[in-house]
Amino acid sequence: MSRRSPTVKSPIVRRLILWIGIPLLLVYSAVALTSYLQNKRASLDRMNAYLLELTGHQAAVIETRFAAISRTPAIIAETIEGMKTLNEQRLYDLMERRLAADPEIFGMAVSFEPYALDPKTASSSTRVFRSDRGLEKVDSQADKTYGTADWYLIPKLLGRPYWTEPYFAAGGGNVLACAFSHPIRLKGVFAGIVMADISLAELEKTLRAVDVFSGYTFIVGRSGTFIAHPNPDFVLRESPFSLAETLGRPDLRAIGKNMIAGKQGIVALADIHSGEKSWMVYTPIPATGWSYAAVIPEDKVLAPVRSQLYRQLVLMLAGLAVIFLGIVGTSYGITNPLRKLTAFAGTISAGNLDVRIEGIKRRDEIQRLAEVFNKMAADLNQYIKDFAAATQAKEAVESELRIARQIQESLLPRVFPAFPDRPEFDLYAKNSPAKDVAGDFYDFFFLDEDHMAVLIADVSGKGVPAALFMAVNRTLMKTVCQKGVGPAESIRAANEILSRDNDACMFTTMFLAVYNVKTGDLVYANAGHNPPFVARRDGSIRVLASMGDAFLGVDAEAAYHEGRDRLDPGELLVLYTDGVTEAVTPEGEFFGEERFVRLVIDNRNEDLASVWNRLSGDLDAFQKGRQFDDITVVLLKRALGGESWA
Amino acid sequence: MKMRGWRRTAAGFLLAGIALATPPPQAGRMTVLQVQWVPQAQFAGYIMAKEKGLFEAEGLDVDVRFSDENSSPITELFSGRADFITAWISQTLTLNRPVVNICQVLQKSMLMLVAKKESGIRKPEDMNGKRVAIWGGDFSIQPTAFFRKYGITPVLVPQSYNIDAFLVGACDVASAMYYNEYNKIYLSGVDQEDLVPFFYSDYGLNFPEDGIYCLRETQARDPEMCRKMRRAILKGWEYAFAHADETLDVLMDYCAGYRVRTNRAQQKWMLEAIHQAVVFGAGPDASRWGVLKKDDFQRVADELIRQGFVKTVPAYEDFYKE
Repeated sequence: MSRRSPTVKSPIVRRLILWIGIPLLLVYSAVALTSYLQNKRASLDRMNAYLLELTGHQAAVIETRFAAISRTPAIIAETIEGMKTLNEQRLYDLMERRLAADPEIFGMAVSFEPYALDPKTASSSTRVFRSDRGLEKVDSQADKTYGTADWYLIPKLLGRPYWTEPYFAAGGGNVLACAFSHPIRLKGVFAGIVMADISLAELEKTLRAVDVFSGYTFIVGRSGTFIAHPNPDFVLRESPFSLAETLGRPDLRAIGKNMIAGKQGIVALADIHSGEKSWMVYTPIPATGWSYAAVIPEDKVLAPVRSQLYRQLVLMLAGLAVIFLGIVGTSYGITNPLRKLTAFAGTISAGNLDVRIEGIKRRDEIQRLAEVFNKMAADLNQYIKDFAAATQAKEAVESELRIARQIQESLLPRVFPAFPDRPEFDLYAKNSPAKDVAGDFYDFFFLDEDHMAVLIADVSGKGVPAALFMAVNRTLMKTVCQKGVGPAESIRAANEILSRDNDACMFTTMFLAVYNVKTGDLVYANAGHNPPFVARRDGSIRVLASMGDAFLGVDAEAAYHEGRDRLDPGELLVLYTDGVTEAVTPEGEFFGEERFVRLVIDNRNEDLASVWNRLSGDLDAFQKGRQFDDITVVLLKRALGGESWA
Repeated sequence: MKMRGWRRTAAGFLLAGIALATPPPQAGRMTVLQVQWVPQAQFAGYIMAKEKGLFEAEGLDVDVRFSDENSSPITELFSGRADFITAWISQTLTLNRPVVNICQVLQKSMLMLVAKKESGIRKPEDMNGKRVAIWGGDFSIQPTAFFRKYGITPVLVPQSYNIDAFLVGACDVASAMYYNEYNKIYLSGVDQEDLVPFFYSDYGLNFPEDGIYCLRETQARDPEMCRKMRRAILKGWEYAFAHADETLDVLMDYCAGYRVRTNRAQQKWMLEAIHQAVVFGAGPDASRWGVLKKDDFQRVADELIRQGFVKTVPAYEDFYKE
């Protein structure tokens, strides 16, 4: 049992993991991914909706505030337009009252076109501004260039109220400010401008108060300049357009154009600082022409979604770990007994049939298999014992068969040349049995000085019964031939005897010839045997045709006929059994008569033992060493110059 | 100019008063080069000459000073507080005290008019009856010549130091410096293909702009110093153009130090535009830069006389001394 089993190419545990574990992993992953993508989409949608609401709200707050502030210059302009008498003192009073009432305005001016206020003065710009000392008036003649200032000129040219671009007010601590200007029309003609300076410091505070998921908000002015931005260096310096150039980001320019065009939008972009993917929503503030924007890093929005994904992944991995452990455990539960069984089978195949497999108590197919193994071992043990006994018996029979074979061989003439003192012919015969004892036989013997009987026979069946029948045949033939009655009569007589008591129903084919060694004359009879042939010296052959007579041992009344031929000097008579022509390759191809005849013709001038050796070699090679039938050949050659012997 | 104008003016008068009270310069003090405006790429060559020790290499100890609304280089030159200044020919030819041009840095006028394509203005004649914003003083010489040349009568409106009026449509055509306002329009979201530019230099009115000037007596007393100044300045420009990124870094530091509200994109554009104006007609070889061509001198002089700014001008040879 300690033998290591050889490596298995596709272990069960691997297949279970492949077909259960991996599909589970895939399904799990697909579910996690789908839910992540859905959550992500939903979160982004929520965020976008939130951002739209937030920027919309903030924009509305700013809009409302600046719309309210813008009413003050409008009211003053209307008041001035309605005044019967206009003088600078009244204007100062008017502005002071408004400044006292409106803390968000830190300075005001009422400025007139040349000679519009007073035909004697070319310019008049009355101003009041807040300072640490309270409200301060500026002399109306202090500034002579207001006519070209944007806050004056642009609304004058446009003929409508105007928000200036924001600027840093030089006085009052460099405060970010912008001005709102409202035209004054006297008698339907443009006469001047009422302007209010408004601090934008509150704007920054508003932005800072808005918490957007660790994102930020900013405001751009009408031409894109940042008015409020978490990076103070950007304010009034950079714009989406300048950043687009500096950072090589054309997308920023496109966004900036939409913003200053007063559009609302949502856009995904790479953050200008970190480069991480962010979402930006912008909403216009129509009153001032600004745009309010909020930027949120997608990571921050997706953080809860991601952490949910991570939780799912952890759960999934834990679940998979349990499943993998289960798979490994189960498969070892199966493969351990299998390994035991494998080792057990190995022990059995090594011949140890007395062992029994134990320790498999599972109430499942494996236990059933173990029981079958144990039964198989017991059965095998019994079978091998029986087999050993049978083998012993068979060996005894075979030993006897070997002896029988020796006896049988001794029955056939085996010494060549058989008649060294007869130069008129040469004779060679050989029997190669398929089994230990052969059913074929041949014989030759002189009947008188000049006549020799030559026969070849093939007993039906093989082995011991055929051998015994052959022995009977041979003895019988020797006896009947000695009577000198010719081949046909000899065969007829033998047939009668054999047929009479043939309980085993065995039969024999036989060719019997009486050969006159002096003249070469040949008288023969054929009891159903393969017709022999004669190889002429010129390489042609002639067949000693069969007369169609029956086998020996079948019909006691059968008649047999004689045929005649004559061997000329150098001609070779070939007798053979069907073991030659029916020799077969493992692929089923027969050796055949043609091949046999060719071999004989090719070797007709060799000595006869060589002819046999050549034939035997070819047949062995042809059958690849497996022989199914007895092979028997008798070769009789009339010597050249045989006639001189007569 | 917004609300600052009146205060600025007040401060200007104040500063002028201080200037008048300042005693004449003492011998042995630093040589002062005062440029027309706050730090920006228009003055990159002088800044880099200073920063890279190119003045020192010529044996000069130069202080580069900047100007604002309250400090004009010409006032500083005449007061003796500045030895060299940058100025336009159209300015320096109208002064009542003789000055000498020792280096004409910009060869091409960068002053231009710009219209929005949507206004339908395509050629000078289209400006007839349209609101055209122009700057006052010396900046009005080229537009005046331009309108006369093409027989145009636009509605002239004053222009402040920015392009807001143009952007909101308060005027149809605005004046611009190619290196400055023209790009600011672009950086306000208006694409260049939506603009129609009119360069005065393309209409036979190329008035070369920034040149280096000193009092005639300064040049007569120490011509060698003037030559050194010229060499150092041209080397400064050569360096600035060859090392644009480094120059922009230095410029942005200067701008931050002087609280100039600008951005790198704007300064980069300006440096490239100034580069075009410096190499105009001279090519990349710095040894051919800085020459005041007699044609250019004459063109400006003729126009000044025609418009009645001056009756006579100095001879070219007396005005320009390399």
